[in-house]
Amino acid sequence: MRIVVCIKQVPATTAEKRYTADLRLDRASAEAVINPLDEYAIEQALRLQESGAVETVGFLSMGPEQAAEALRRALAMGGDDATLVTDRALAGADEWATARVLAAALDRLAPDIALMGMASDDARGSLVPGAVAALRGLPLLSYGAELSVAGAHARIRRLTAAGFDVIEAPLPVVATVTDQVGEPRYASLKGIMAAKRKPMETWSLADLGLAAADLHGAALTRVVEARKPEAKPPTERVENASPDEAVGRIADWLAARKLI
Amino acid sequence: MGKDVAFLAEYSAGGAARSALELAAGAAALARQSGGIAVALAYGPGSGKAGELGAAGAVKVVVLGDAPAPAITFAAAASAVVAELRPLALMAPATPNGRDLAAALVGLLGLPAFGPVRAVSIEGGNVRSEQATLQGSVITSSEPVEGAPQPAVVLVLPSTFTPAEGGSGTATVTPAPAGEPGPFGRATVVESHPAEAAVANLEEASVIVAGGRGVGSAEGFAPLHELAAALGGAVGASRAAADAGWVPYQLQIGQTGKVVKPALYVGCGISGAIQHRVGMQTAENVLAINKDPDAPIGEFADLFVVGDLFTIVPKLTAEIRRRKGT
Repeated sequence: MRIVVCIKQVPATTAEKRYTADLRLDRASAEAVINPLDEYAIEQALRLQESGAVETVGFLSMGPEQAAEALRRALAMGGDDATLVTDRALAGADEWATARVLAAALDRLAPDIALMGMASDDARGSLVPGAVAALRGLPLLSYGAELSVAGAHARIRRLTAAGFDVIEAPLPVVATVTDQVGEPRYASLKGIMAAKRKPMETWSLADLGLAAADLHGAALTRVVEARKPEAKPPTERVENASPDEAVGRIADWLAARKLI
Repeated sequence: MGKDVAFLAEYSAGGAARSALELAAGAAALARQSGGIAVALAYGPGSGKAGELGAAGAVKVVVLGDAPAPAITFAAAASAVVAELRPLALMAPATPNGRDLAAALVGLLGLPAFGPVRAVSIEGGNVRSEQATLQGSVITSSEPVEGAPQPAVVLVLPSTFTPAEGGSGTATVTPAPAGEPGPFGRATVVESHPAEAAVANLEEASVIVAGGRGVGSAEGFAPLHELAAALGGAVGASRAAADAGWVPYQLQIGQTGKVVKPALYVGCGISGAIQHRVGMQTAENVLAINKDPDAPIGEFADLFVVGDLFTIVPKLTAEIRRRKGT
């Protein structure tokens, strides 16, 4: 039984972001981290490995060369090996192109479970997992609060509008998990040392049998404008007021805005 | 070149989702600009009644299936309908189910994808989507590249469009051509556990009173429920409060919970970390009550009251009831 966790390197949540002249995110300018929501997928995979349900855990990322750092950090948390797909032709890849490339890489890695986080911190479309499943012709188990494996099936617990469902599919599957699977572990010093000796392969588009032309120049979408959000009026503060005074101020504020 | 604007219309035992009514109105408005019609792709229990979406703006309704299955199960049927119709745009609600079904179409048909968006328009015959990226630090507008296949798939956040009121239009209803569900049909619901108590649908609330770590306990939410009742709203929470088990996860607002856009958001004992902020920053009015004068929510709330929520909230509830005369 093998899981491959797909991870994305993203700018740190709190980092200052800049756009390049052609309206792409200047990824070199911002501190980069593993997408925080992917860390939960890593944690889930490692827990399954520790429980004996899964033998090996691999990591897969598509990105610029420095995305290898994210894979090393994942390997420091645990797991066995990593694969980086990097190619200049992939700069600015959109969700469709990303899904196409990950699907091709996963076809080659052939895991029983391709596991992903529920969203990326930067774009938040959450479309890549479903598109990868469609391209590979596999069932999707999405938004799992927990992932488990029993025999030749994988199952997830998934929140519904009120309550939860258990959804099951025969392996192989594409799956995603939420931040409810449990807090991701920190890499230990021992883990960081061990990660340096774990195998990491680097593949180009050609290695996957894909050409830039297959990807429509890496994107079917283009950004036509990027701007700062409208500035909001400054916050009105109520401090050092008695409770009655504060309540009066709030009620006046609500009334002025026709909210009561 | 297709001119129609299609949208995913989710149904459940309770009828059409609010997102279906919002997208019907949005699709009708966009179709007026593009010179086409609004087409609903309806799925889920009760979707056989989706002809009612005519009153909301749809001219044509195609029913994908009425099984109580994960939305992606309908991907093969949706793909066949979309490939035949080739609309200009396909809008999907930015919910787990809407995203999954939209994602499957992106993969099956090789389509450009956008969102989650807070505005969408037709510019020179092209679909333009406006989205907040990188935790809302940048607003980008995007379009399909020239020669991209149609439709443009657009994920739409709740409350981006306002449902049409008192519409009287009618829609023709046809079932999707019968076909095999394919690999997505291999994922099946094997257990279904309803909640012990009714859970509010935050995406439909116009007022939300949200509690965070500062609320301290499940019992601490009682005054928030009172305030929400006085304001005619619902109670939400930060991830800290949901993780602590004080409220069900369905009430969590933020990056990994619901994205809401109420007329009024009241944050009680919520610090306002970026992960929470991305779920509520488009609320029209933000009131925050926190005893920490340095809480980040004080940076972006419209009104920030520094004080003890357990003193202020009950007094505020009483004052609102007094002013409303209820």
